[in-house]
Amino acid sequence: MLTISVDTGGTFTDVAVADESGQLQIAKALTSRDRAYDAIAEALDAIARRMSTSRGALLEQAARFNYGTTRSTNAVVEGKASRTAFFTTKGFPDVLLLREGGKPDPFRQIPYGQPYVPRHLTFEIDERMDAEGTVFRPLDEASVITAIRSAQEQEVEAVGVCLLWSIANSAHELRVGQLMEEHAPDLAFTLSHQLNPVVREYRRASATVIDASLKPLMQQFIRGLEQDLRGEGFMGNLFISTSYGGSWSPQDVAERPVYSIGSGPSMAPVSAVHEANRDLEGGAAEFDLLVADTGGTTFDIGIVRSGQIEFTNETWLGGRWIGNITGTRAVDVKSIGAGGGSIAWIDSGGLLKVGPQSAGSSPGPACYGRGGSLPTVTDAALLLGYLDSSNFMEGSLHLDRDAAERAFAPLSEALGMTLLQMAHATLTIACDNIAASSREATVARGIDPREVVIVAGGGGSGMSIGRIAEELGTRGVLIPQTAGAMSACGALFADVIHEFTCVAYVETAAFDSRAANAALAQVSESADRFLSGLSPGLAIETEVQFAAEARYRQQAWELTVPLPDAALSDGDVALIEETFHDTHERMFGVREPNQTLEILSWTARATARLRHPSRSVPDAERQPVLEPLRVQDSSFDGVHLVPVPVYWGPSMPVGHSLLGPAIVHEPTTTIVLYPGHTITVMPSGNYYMETPHEHA
Amino acid sequence: MSMPDIDLVQMTVIANRLDGIVREMENTLLRSGRSAVLNMARDFSCSIITADHRLLATAEGLPVHVIGGERLGAAVAEFHDDISEGDAFLHNDPYLGNTHAADHTILVPVFYEGEHIFTALAKAHQADIGNSQPTTYMPFAKDIYEEGALIFPAVRVQRDRRDIDDIIRMCKRRIRVPEQWYGDYLAMIGAARIGESALKEVCKRHGKDTVKAFIEQWFDYSERKMAHAIGKLSAGTVTGHGMADPLEPVMPDGIPIQVTITVDPGEQRITLDLRDNIDCLEAGLNESETCSRNNVMTGLLNSLDADIPRNSGSFRRIDILLREGCVVGIPTFPHSTSVATTNLGERLVTITQKTFADHWGGMGLAEGACSVGTGFSVISGMDERHVPARPYVNQVFLGSQGGPGGPEVDGWLTYGNAVTNGLMFRDSIEIDEQKYPIRIEELRIRTDSEGAGRRRGAPGTVLRFGPKTGTMQAFYANDGVVYPPRGAQGGGDAAPQEPFLLDPLGQEHPVPAVGGVTMSVGETLGHRLSGGGGYGSPYEREPESVRLDVLARFVSPERARDVYGVIFTGTTLDDSLQVDDVATRELRQRHQASGVG
Repeated sequence: MLTISVDTGGTFTDVAVADESGQLQIAKALTSRDRAYDAIAEALDAIARRMSTSRGALLEQAARFNYGTTRSTNAVVEGKASRTAFFTTKGFPDVLLLREGGKPDPFRQIPYGQPYVPRHLTFEIDERMDAEGTVFRPLDEASVITAIRSAQEQEVEAVGVCLLWSIANSAHELRVGQLMEEHAPDLAFTLSHQLNPVVREYRRASATVIDASLKPLMQQFIRGLEQDLRGEGFMGNLFISTSYGGSWSPQDVAERPVYSIGSGPSMAPVSAVHEANRDLEGGAAEFDLLVADTGGTTFDIGIVRSGQIEFTNETWLGGRWIGNITGTRAVDVKSIGAGGGSIAWIDSGGLLKVGPQSAGSSPGPACYGRGGSLPTVTDAALLLGYLDSSNFMEGSLHLDRDAAERAFAPLSEALGMTLLQMAHATLTIACDNIAASSREATVARGIDPREVVIVAGGGGSGMSIGRIAEELGTRGVLIPQTAGAMSACGALFADVIHEFTCVAYVETAAFDSRAANAALAQVSESADRFLSGLSPGLAIETEVQFAAEARYRQQAWELTVPLPDAALSDGDVALIEETFHDTHERMFGVREPNQTLEILSWTARATARLRHPSRSVPDAERQPVLEPLRVQDSSFDGVHLVPVPVYWGPSMPVGHSLLGPAIVHEPTTTIVLYPGHTITVMPSGNYYMETPHEHA
Repeated sequence: MSMPDIDLVQMTVIANRLDGIVREMENTLLRSGRSAVLNMARDFSCSIITADHRLLATAEGLPVHVIGGERLGAAVAEFHDDISEGDAFLHNDPYLGNTHAADHTILVPVFYEGEHIFTALAKAHQADIGNSQPTTYMPFAKDIYEEGALIFPAVRVQRDRRDIDDIIRMCKRRIRVPEQWYGDYLAMIGAARIGESALKEVCKRHGKDTVKAFIEQWFDYSERKMAHAIGKLSAGTVTGHGMADPLEPVMPDGIPIQVTITVDPGEQRITLDLRDNIDCLEAGLNESETCSRNNVMTGLLNSLDADIPRNSGSFRRIDILLREGCVVGIPTFPHSTSVATTNLGERLVTITQKTFADHWGGMGLAEGACSVGTGFSVISGMDERHVPARPYVNQVFLGSQGGPGGPEVDGWLTYGNAVTNGLMFRDSIEIDEQKYPIRIEELRIRTDSEGAGRRRGAPGTVLRFGPKTGTMQAFYANDGVVYPPRGAQGGGDAAPQEPFLLDPLGQEHPVPAVGGVTMSVGETLGHRLSGGGGYGSPYEREPESVRLDVLARFVSPERARDVYGVIFTGTTLDDSLQVDDVATRELRQRHQASGVG
């Protein structure tokens, strides 16, 4: 039996296949825009050849096929989702426009940005619920019919319905849904209280309209994929990745497609947890992990605390405060504009800057010889002697050193530095940018970056992760052998995860345990129903965890607090408060011991653990004697070139350690070992790199 | 001692780190702060100054807050010859460098190897400061005694990292919501301490001498950037004039303000002269010295390259001339500066940026909306949803008013006001209705409130809200009712602020521009909020942009025709609405020929 997973990114489609013997094969193909399956087929063919079989045979033997795609993310960002109308409570047509305020920089003049649904496709429904769930103004059904007719006349394909306080009383939204089915059976629609029952109308409305706009597109897309797979003989379970860092059945994703946004990057932390469990003593639970995934234009940062992947309620597409919030809970992945294609430049005061402008993968760095002429991080790494053509994109791309030199010449002249100094300075600034963002991401979570283990993925991560770790003061870096396809590999080890939320305002000062327990019973029941609805025999075990969104009295922002149980007694209040004090102190450095809490919502997370493929280490190639492939001149200070041994990673014996400087080639990445750093081949075949920093 | 020379790479690394530290401090303050003015309006800031009181790092903080940190640090040094590790100082004295009494500032000296290297600052507008009335905005206060705030002239509030409880008790006794104040105090202390430990780490990482060398070279770099920017401007001296709304009975005709700007590109210097203004008023409107400086500086920074670091190095190129006893200068004790950060402060910002815009083509901005008026009221009453009923008082941030147009970009929609410059957050309707017994009846774009222009100002909104149970009081202070935000470079003015009361029969009644209103169930307090001024002639706005403005209900079709000279082929506001190119061209040519506007 095989497990197959696919991650369709903007540039590459990564495919990973795990077999019963514990072997894992990965392959890449250029993403096919028209029909995603073309790229999948191409990569599967490559793997099939390696395994001396056929694509059809691989699919026939697959028990599970896990699919992750940026399709929904791209559709939203590029404005290519379906034409969608927004139904809102009368008096509030500009919820999507006004957002929640805030601006990235007070002095920079930037365009405000457009609402996800334009005002002329927004319709006011005459009704009003109050915060207490009572009807203030009854639903005027004529206003609904008028809205439906107008939306149809304007040829919309989907409708997002978000009425004020539908989360306290859903009657009006439900009735709008019935009228939609009656009068416009062809239109896809989403009701906000069913999709994402959270307080704060902007977030809920934004999630609702994005979801509705993706329904026609994703439903069609998933149907097509399923047909393609079944047509080739696939008979196993198809799963689609979600932003929870888990998987759903195609039907669940088709009903709530907003959860497929960001599903690819959310799998990198899943992969990190899996690899940490294999290689770190005590497993991921004993560590805090900083998950780094390097691409051509961005560097993605995720955090795992004691084995638990960190989540966020604030995922923005198109930029924080200027784009659109997804409004849903998701694995917290921060994306910064610092990849291999980031461009070096000089500002008006004479300082060297790197990024956020990027040459991306097209035209790409100057050394790709594809028309790029601006100096990039990858060009710098080439000039420093870290990269060579034999190990870049599986040898398929010749790296042009002269082009890299030409690209850096103007900067070098302007700053009076040698080319080598320029390249070194560029890499230093690029690493510092990443370190600064990584530090902010960890500190904001109350984690000391010196105490984490970095798990580094992405084809370009190996050349700079050592320097980044050194800059952060971090000692340990785990580099999986499968670093080049981290998200696809993560999906092999993903479980089915779904969250259910209920809004019920409760204060711990006068704890209303009946209200709290009623809310918890509701989400608990939803979670149980979801789990029992899965195909029999699918899950090897199931679990439901409970949490609340709480804040100190009068605060504006909530923190997530785990709850001991779904049935709370008065005695549990002290425990909840204590957990909150601890969380608050960790995040913000202070606690307020006698302060009470306001709890806004209650959540159950249902997890169905799937059978994960086992992993073994192929050791056929492993040599008892470690011989370098060759010696290459590289520079680590921008001044001197020193001879550095280059090793072929897959031939290095398990348990063997190297002291830098050295370079290790892996099929999907190049690892640069800086002077004074060590690297050890773990029993898994992964690498554990150590900087000279002491553990804090 | 000789300074080690540091290269530009190390300089970038340390500078980025310092900005990162300021952001870590800000995040702590924002997320853990208690009062709405802190966690919603973001009326707070963090910064780092050097041991000799020069402003070093501010990240994206508001200059209304962070410029002037230098003088706060100097005051601490002036009164204490035993500054030690573990100290924290509380400072809110507007005559000794603070903005106004409502901004409490915490200063923490940062020591490394026994030497005072930096001071970390956290400053936040408090919900209450023990004034004679339950508000921190007292425009009518004759002097600081009538304000009645507790004043702390650089007072030690922590020693060995522990509160000096004498001070805490004084505050808890006098400040109205002591628990809320203490929560915000803790948030500020937490932020400053996070800054302290991070700054020590920087010293440890790079070494004390390198850090000291960095400080000088970073100031030099920042000065170079500012000099470079000024060197590109044309030379000239211009005086910009403006008016702030009347304040009965002190200034019934409004308050004139003027700013004289001299740009000397040869010397690469700019001088901002505020001396030729009226004397201090017997009212809370006077600017503190720090607010005089930082608000006129905000107007300048709004006009320059946003990449110039904002610190004592770049500020070496700016001279600000102030006069003692002047309403926008150096206030003489005991004149009140209660509302120094808004009102006249905002006018300093907007007049300065408009003057730049009008006289230096391609830079500056039109005027943006001013004041935290009716849409940002402090509301209070009894919440009868609880048994027994529970009192509530807090400021709501429900309204949204428009930002100014500039040379390239239309105004920012959720602008807040001229001193928050877009950073302000907005309340969620549902969160406010959950917290307080109020119902918000309407919040929508106010059509035709934008200042027209080639780059238009952003429109304001229409807001109405009222009590669901019992009675509710609302206090507020509008500015821009009489003198709305003005356009620049031929751009139009925005619609003025219009506060009103709607009775249960749907009848509208006037309410005072500055003051308070009491309402009962069925009545709602309304506010048509002001937009921002436009930049450039509206007749030069791309017709397609005008079409989108009409579809967005920012601009009515009538106004599109009359003010922008754009005519459409249809009347239905959907995708079928198209610009009538021929009629539009004709109308615009006729307009040009007539020489109007």
